Amino acid sequence: MNVIEINRLTKMYGKSRGITDVSFSVEEGEIFGFIGPNGAGKSTTIRLLLSLIYPTSGSATIFGKDVVKFAPEIKKEIGYLPSEVFYYDNMKVIDLLKYSASFYKKDCTKRITELAEVMELDLTKKIDDLSLGNKKKVGIVQGLLHEPKLIILDEPTSGLDPLMQQRFFDLLEKENQKGATILFSSHILSEVQRLCDRVAIIKDGAIVQVEKISELKQNNYKKFKIETVLPLSGDYFEMPGVNQLEVKGTTTSFIFRGDINTVMQKVSTVEIANLWVEEPDLEEIFMHFYQREE
Amino acid sequence: MNIITREMKANLKSLIIWSIGVLFMVGAGMGKYAGMGGSGETMNELMAEMPDSLQAIMGTAGFDLSKALGFYGLLYLYLIVMATIHAVMLGANIIAKEELDKTVEFLLVKPISRVKVISFKLVAALLNVFVVNLVTLVSSIIIVGRSAEGEKVVGDIVLLMVGMFCLQIIFLVIGTAIAAVYKNAKKAGAISTGILLITFLLAIIINLDQRLEALRYITPFKYFEAESILNTSGLDPVFLGLSLIIVVVLTFTTYHYYKKKDLHL
Repeated sequence: MNVIEINRLTKMYGKSRGITDVSFSVEEGEIFGFIGPNGAGKSTTIRLLLSLIYPTSGSATIFGKDVVKFAPEIKKEIGYLPSEVFYYDNMKVIDLLKYSASFYKKDCTKRITELAEVMELDLTKKIDDLSLGNKKKVGIVQGLLHEPKLIILDEPTSGLDPLMQQRFFDLLEKENQKGATILFSSHILSEVQRLCDRVAIIKDGAIVQVEKISELKQNNYKKFKIETVLPLSGDYFEMPGVNQLEVKGTTTSFIFRGDINTVMQKVSTVEIANLWVEEPDLEEIFMHFYQREE
Repeated sequence: MNIITREMKANLKSLIIWSIGVLFMVGAGMGKYAGMGGSGETMNELMAEMPDSLQAIMGTAGFDLSKALGFYGLLYLYLIVMATIHAVMLGANIIAKEELDKTVEFLLVKPISRVKVISFKLVAALLNVFVVNLVTLVSSIIIVGRSAEGEKVVGDIVLLMVGMFCLQIIFLVIGTAIAAVYKNAKKAGAISTGILLITFLLAIIINLDQRLEALRYITPFKYFEAESILNTSGLDPVFLGLSLIIVVVLTFTTYHYYKKKDLHL
């Protein structure tokens, strides 16, 4: 079953682009990564899902229900952590969390203390006095206190120190094991790589690719580095499937996707001094998506 | 319910300040009357000698300033200005602040419809303006009553306060409607108070030039003037009806636009 289904979702801000024709779906129980550079449309997509803004065209469903029509109902089971957390002034952490809990028809007191303990959050402090990282912790507790079935995270780790980040990821994995589906938006690949099963890559408001992390990493891509005896002309390896071609003197490097034989044949026609063929890390694959259309 | 409590708490400080404000206005204003002692008649004469235009601007035309209630009628103009400024700012702010303070991402991801959010906020705002009205009413009855020597004042003051309450609600929903319609939440407060200022100036201009009488339907400040409430038969049903229509239309506008609004951060 798909928890989130996005169907040709488009949002225009007047004439300027928000997102265009975004389609993907998130299956129940998976941790789905949503990556792209700043301004690519990640937050826009998430805000559309939460019906904070409304689509220009296209539609989306969560738990099989239209996000616009059934917004209040759907949100009972959604926990959301915004990229920047803003709260009402002059409230204590515990008051804010209780206020947040009051919107859900269940008792969350125990859960609040549990979460606060894990995240080392002082509930008696005033929110105004908290550091950015601690505000983020309030956001995390606030987003998880009602044990949502779908957790939506928009750049959740900014401001958290590595230790807390680790605790937070553990927390997410625990929720995931209990059955929660997670949509995780980020521009930091390593965290997505660590946590997610599948990933959608967004660039300039459009989805470039949806792929399994494992496939993205293993199957298709190879990183080549070739040292030749004589310097090669810059376009010697210019062929379909080759990306990020770089020639520096006798050293040539590129990322290749496709039938490996075609490259090997090409390699065999020059005299080589050394050869490396490696698995590219996600970052490098990712760069390939960003650069492709430039 | 939780939103109402939240809003009441959030607005408590401002409510106290405004309440003290109107209390001070009534106290200080009527203090001036008491200070005049028996010189009320002279005051009337002095006023009568002033040019009509100046009288119109100060809103003193048509009041018997030798009477406590007459003097209070003069003060009423300033009271409604205060009360409506409070109402219009509260209305604009209570809607716009979630966007301004970027708390929409907190509130509207909760399982609650926008219609309910608006309803709770409107209830909280109504309670606030009601308290301001009540403070004005009670302080007026006590303070004016003390200066009045045998005059019957309570009935008239109640009528004036009913008029003021109508104006408060009108400006409250002007504020909410503007905050709901305008994409840029930052401007909502400024535009709302701007409208208040313009309608207030228009009321004065109408006072200055009788030929503009027809325009009195446009500015709420002409709906319930102390002069006509005190000197004739009370609240004008035409303007009561008009107020009701304005409030209904603007409340509907508030709901309609907020429901469709893209909430930006």
